[in-house]
Amino acid sequence: MTPFIDHQQIMTRRSLFGKAAMGLGGLALGSMFKNEAMALPPDPHAPILPHYAPKAKRVIYLFQNGAPSHVDLFDHKPMLKKWHGKQIPDSVAKGKRFSTMSKADTPRPVLSEISNFKQHGKSGAWVSDFMPRTAEIADDLCFVKSLHTESVNHAPAITYLLTGGEMAGRPSMGSWLSYGLGSESENIPSFVVMTSRDKEASCGQIFYDYYWGSGFLPTKYQGVKFRGNGDPVLYISNPDGLPRDVRRGMLDDLARLNEKKLQEVGDPEISTRISQYEMAYRMQSSVPELTDFSDEPQHILDMYGPDVKRQGSYAYNCLMARRLIEKGSRFVQLMHAGWDQHNNLNHQLKIQCNDTDAASAALVKDLKQRGLLEDTLVIWGGEFGRTPFLQGKIEDTKRWGRDHHPYTFTKWMAGGGVKPGISYGQSDEFGFNAVKDKVHVHDFQATIMHLLGIDHEKFTFRHQGRQFRLTDVHGHVVKDILA
Amino acid sequence: MKKVSCVLFLLLVGIVSAKEKKIDFSRDIQPLLSENCFHCHGPDNKNREANLRLDDEHAAKAVYKKKKGLIGIVPGHPEKSTIIERMFTDDEDDVMPPLDSNRTLTQEQKELIKEWIKQGAEWGTHWAFERAERPEIKSLAGTGNPIDDIVLEKLKEQKLTFSQEASKTTLLRRVSLDLTGVPPTVEELDHFINDKSPKAYEKAVDRLLASKRFGQKLGWDWLDAARYSDTDGFQGDPTRTMWVWRDWVVDSLNKNMPFDQFTVWQLAGDLLPNATKEQKMATAFNRNNMHNGEGGRIPEETRVESVLDRVETASTVWMGLTMGCCRCHDHKYDPLSHKEYFQMYDFFNQMSETGGHGGGKKAPVLDYATKDEQSNFDKHNGKYLEESKKLEKFEKDNQEVIATYSKAVQDFLKKPVKKRPNWEIKRYIKDIKEVNKAHHDLTASHLKLLEAKSNAWKKMTKVMVMDTVKKPRQTKILEKGLYNKPIGDVVSAKTPAILGPIKKINVEPGKDRPYNRLDMAHNFVSRDNPLTARVTVNRYWQTLFGRGIVKSVDDFGVQSDKPSNQKLIDWLAVEFMESGWDIKGLFKKIVTSKTYKQDSRITPDHALKDPENKYLSRGPRFRMPSYMLRDQALYVSGLMNEEMGGPSIKPYQPKGIWAEATFGKIKYKQDTGKALYRRSMYVFWRRIVGPTMFFDNSARQICDVKMHLTNTPLHALVTLNETTYVEAARVLAEKVMKAHLDDAERLNYVYRTVTSRSIAKDEMNILMNRLKTLKQQFSKDQSGAARFVNVGEFKRDAALDVVEHASWTVVCQLLLNLDETLNKE
Repeated sequence: MTPFIDHQQIMTRRSLFGKAAMGLGGLALGSMFKNEAMALPPDPHAPILPHYAPKAKRVIYLFQNGAPSHVDLFDHKPMLKKWHGKQIPDSVAKGKRFSTMSKADTPRPVLSEISNFKQHGKSGAWVSDFMPRTAEIADDLCFVKSLHTESVNHAPAITYLLTGGEMAGRPSMGSWLSYGLGSESENIPSFVVMTSRDKEASCGQIFYDYYWGSGFLPTKYQGVKFRGNGDPVLYISNPDGLPRDVRRGMLDDLARLNEKKLQEVGDPEISTRISQYEMAYRMQSSVPELTDFSDEPQHILDMYGPDVKRQGSYAYNCLMARRLIEKGSRFVQLMHAGWDQHNNLNHQLKIQCNDTDAASAALVKDLKQRGLLEDTLVIWGGEFGRTPFLQGKIEDTKRWGRDHHPYTFTKWMAGGGVKPGISYGQSDEFGFNAVKDKVHVHDFQATIMHLLGIDHEKFTFRHQGRQFRLTDVHGHVVKDILA
Repeated sequence: MKKVSCVLFLLLVGIVSAKEKKIDFSRDIQPLLSENCFHCHGPDNKNREANLRLDDEHAAKAVYKKKKGLIGIVPGHPEKSTIIERMFTDDEDDVMPPLDSNRTLTQEQKELIKEWIKQGAEWGTHWAFERAERPEIKSLAGTGNPIDDIVLEKLKEQKLTFSQEASKTTLLRRVSLDLTGVPPTVEELDHFINDKSPKAYEKAVDRLLASKRFGQKLGWDWLDAARYSDTDGFQGDPTRTMWVWRDWVVDSLNKNMPFDQFTVWQLAGDLLPNATKEQKMATAFNRNNMHNGEGGRIPEETRVESVLDRVETASTVWMGLTMGCCRCHDHKYDPLSHKEYFQMYDFFNQMSETGGHGGGKKAPVLDYATKDEQSNFDKHNGKYLEESKKLEKFEKDNQEVIATYSKAVQDFLKKPVKKRPNWEIKRYIKDIKEVNKAHHDLTASHLKLLEAKSNAWKKMTKVMVMDTVKKPRQTKILEKGLYNKPIGDVVSAKTPAILGPIKKINVEPGKDRPYNRLDMAHNFVSRDNPLTARVTVNRYWQTLFGRGIVKSVDDFGVQSDKPSNQKLIDWLAVEFMESGWDIKGLFKKIVTSKTYKQDSRITPDHALKDPENKYLSRGPRFRMPSYMLRDQALYVSGLMNEEMGGPSIKPYQPKGIWAEATFGKIKYKQDTGKALYRRSMYVFWRRIVGPTMFFDNSARQICDVKMHLTNTPLHALVTLNETTYVEAARVLAEKVMKAHLDDAERLNYVYRTVTSRSIAKDEMNILMNRLKTLKQQFSKDQSGAARFVNVGEFKRDAALDVVEHASWTVVCQLLLNLDETLNKE
């Protein structure tokens, strides 16, 4: 450690100690923290952020686990119809690696789009009929159609998108941001995760907790999982039969006794602990308030769709996401499983879209009408795309599917300093390889960081002897999509 | 301005002293070169720029550009050394480190390097790669314990002193928690306080070290390091029965098995001459890794990943090196090559495991079935075999029926009856039904018995262990560790060069063989190995002090944190080795030192000069890990069930945790009765969603040797609201109410039970008032109070007044949440 940092640390510790030693006794303890900034501050060791004025202050990532089929939803390719049933040409597919389900000697007939596409809005964006509500907001969206990634399996690819590495163990994006930017809220976590799945449970990808892990960053920056049943936050409810005023009184005395200890032993961690207990208490009321939708007008609820009141549904989570960022969460990560359509594309894709389309679009509309879209970045998309060729047998029409496809896929972004109403990047005529303005996962991450005012190359954390960053040693900001 | 001048002053002190004193390469220069230069001019020869290499003395001082005759470092001549020229240049294109590299050298650091070259650029090795030797000790502390002499020498350098000794109460509490994981009882406290003999403390330490709880306490960290879990991880997350190994760990620590033996058995017990079942079982250490047996996954990929994990785990645990970096390339900082990684890999590659589905019992396994499990299996297996014969006979006698089946079914039936997997039988049984009822019925009962048999098999305790393949596997370097990207020549097993020479153990004359895991294990615990002992004592130090002497407990390489006191770690390491790797002996030396026994109060002087307690000017004070908090709550309430060993138990857990994580496929079935109150160590660990009350622990997915002590509201919610804690509070309340009738006496008793010390007067006042208020509050809602005092399964004494019991429960909750209770101080 350099002498300068040593010195700074001493100063911080010292001022903390000094403040603590002055004592807080005599105050009405119940309210003593009301006016104090109790938000989770950025880590004192973190680089000073933001590096420049941010366009986005917060992010809602609508992560579609299992990988939605880009060619059936947004990346319209008339060639697929023309080539339907014919072997995909070597010119695009030769030598490419796929999951073990598509072996090298398996036939790869092109599969026509299973939905119809139309152009929408002034921007004329192509959107599948399966996504009518998303189509309505096409002019607010920026479609990135040339994303590509490295891995052909779900867990590594999701980990790669969220943490910058394929193996578990690196901090996820939300943890990085909490670490560097801190939280704006006194009462709710900075980084919240919610998961949901299709009702049919058509595929069983597990949500591994390292998708929101803090890796080598301090564990307080890991995502807080809001649960799909029971208490949204673990242990948020008081024990059965224990009234809130009793708890309040007990916490007042606890703070009093801890305060006494602080004065005796001078450990600044005690003052942190006192405030963490207070925040826990406040969370006990702020979290139930969050989940109480009774203050939402009916037309808003309607907009999110019929599932909105069912805890743990995608629609519920979308509305929660808006409520969370209104209260100051920095990064809300929704994860919705059910897109892994290897052999049920024909019927499941539509169901999946029905379950999610309205809620995703409603979230964007809702943010927009509240003026929040301006500085909230919404991202929709999965870990990769799906093969333009068929997985299964062409004659077995009921069991058509598409395999994992990392070579091009589509995500959309909205708000937070992204150009609305554009499509960026292109794949080839089969929707197979990204060919124009290619966006690698690390470029995508660099761009998100940029929107938040962070230079991804400078935002690092030292671990095991080297400086780590979200984008590893790669990544370029996609300047053309910045508003 | 004041701040700036202060900083300048600090920096100047550095320079002045540098000019006066001889600059030490390892301490002063290597870290600067490593941080700023090695990334492009280090050991990694594939990515080395301009052919300039600065991590190696010979290369750094040799011509690297022949045409121009450039030399990086010319001893005694900074003006001829190109690194100086490039560091000091104003040319933005030429300056080193490059402007866009995110690395910078300050003016002072540059001057220091220049001065070092001027002094002759004397080289040295990274301290942790040199053999540990007993440091010179100045008798300063007068305690007879060299730890104190070494610490005091450092304190004096820093213008600090020892703090006074902690009170007897604090001391017994501290050492009890450290050695057994639970606080002292009131009786133990009284006994200790009244024992005025000079040996009182030592006697207490001996008692604690002899306690069976010692192995459990120390065992937890080992389970974290070994990524111990009760399931495989990944989809399906099948259960395993590796708890037999866990029991062995606890038992071995309690027996004070020397650490070298502990090491050899776990890494290579199977290779010992005439290895016993126990020695073989100890190798389960290596099999505690996650195992991905998903369908659709390439088995070899899983197998390779398991081998990689074993290499990296062993490297972290024994070598303290970030070997993972060399999975893809030569290390950027440490003298470890890509090739050396795969030489280590080869040790673990010579094992018979394959990568497919293993259901938590992937071969090779040892049979540890209980009698009941065995007889249950034999029963089902017998029935299955009988029924198989019938089916075999039927098919033999009815070839004409079989001839009428579709081709797919006929192909299936070509498989011998006993080799037909259940999923395939399920697929074809309908087709059989359509043709022949008798055949169908036999197949159906065969299937039923097959499933019953495999269920019985699944319930049998098996321990996954190590063995050696008959036909050696060829190991090649894998590009980025990818199973399908072998590159280069065949490599064979060897430990990295920095660990010193490896020897072949027990080789019969004339029967040479390649190096194996046994040789590797012996190399790890050789007296000449510079790392193992240092890395191990450092972890123990972290356990006791909350911070390693080397803060980066998982990295002792060139880029690691400098030891806060190198003499201390070296002395401990040498002492550890030369004492015969005596773990309890080492702990005794540390906990009886003046250093350990200091009061943990932070004075303003401490806050200024040693905020992190790097130099040990006071005793340790930090929040206990969550597993200890749970144990403490159970213990002080009297609920704890101290049964040792056996399969894991499932305590309270909020509803739906497992179901939500597994899409309803796996449901949590909570245990009941006494099992609920067993130590945290025995709590069932599902790898994909760990026990929810251990909020700060390693996820037990990969090797983890660091402490994760954070301070967040979510932790508070656990100790306030989790069922075990609430139940412990209300059972403690019952105990307190029964022990005394008078509230003041009760308060003193409960204070001592929980915090070990007597209650102070102002505390008494606060809590007496609180009790009064609580009684009023609960009187208003007696039915609520009744629910509250019945949280958890433990049957309460119905004779106790509900309002009073509820009030006391709140007081007990308060005490269990005191900072003082949560901390070890």
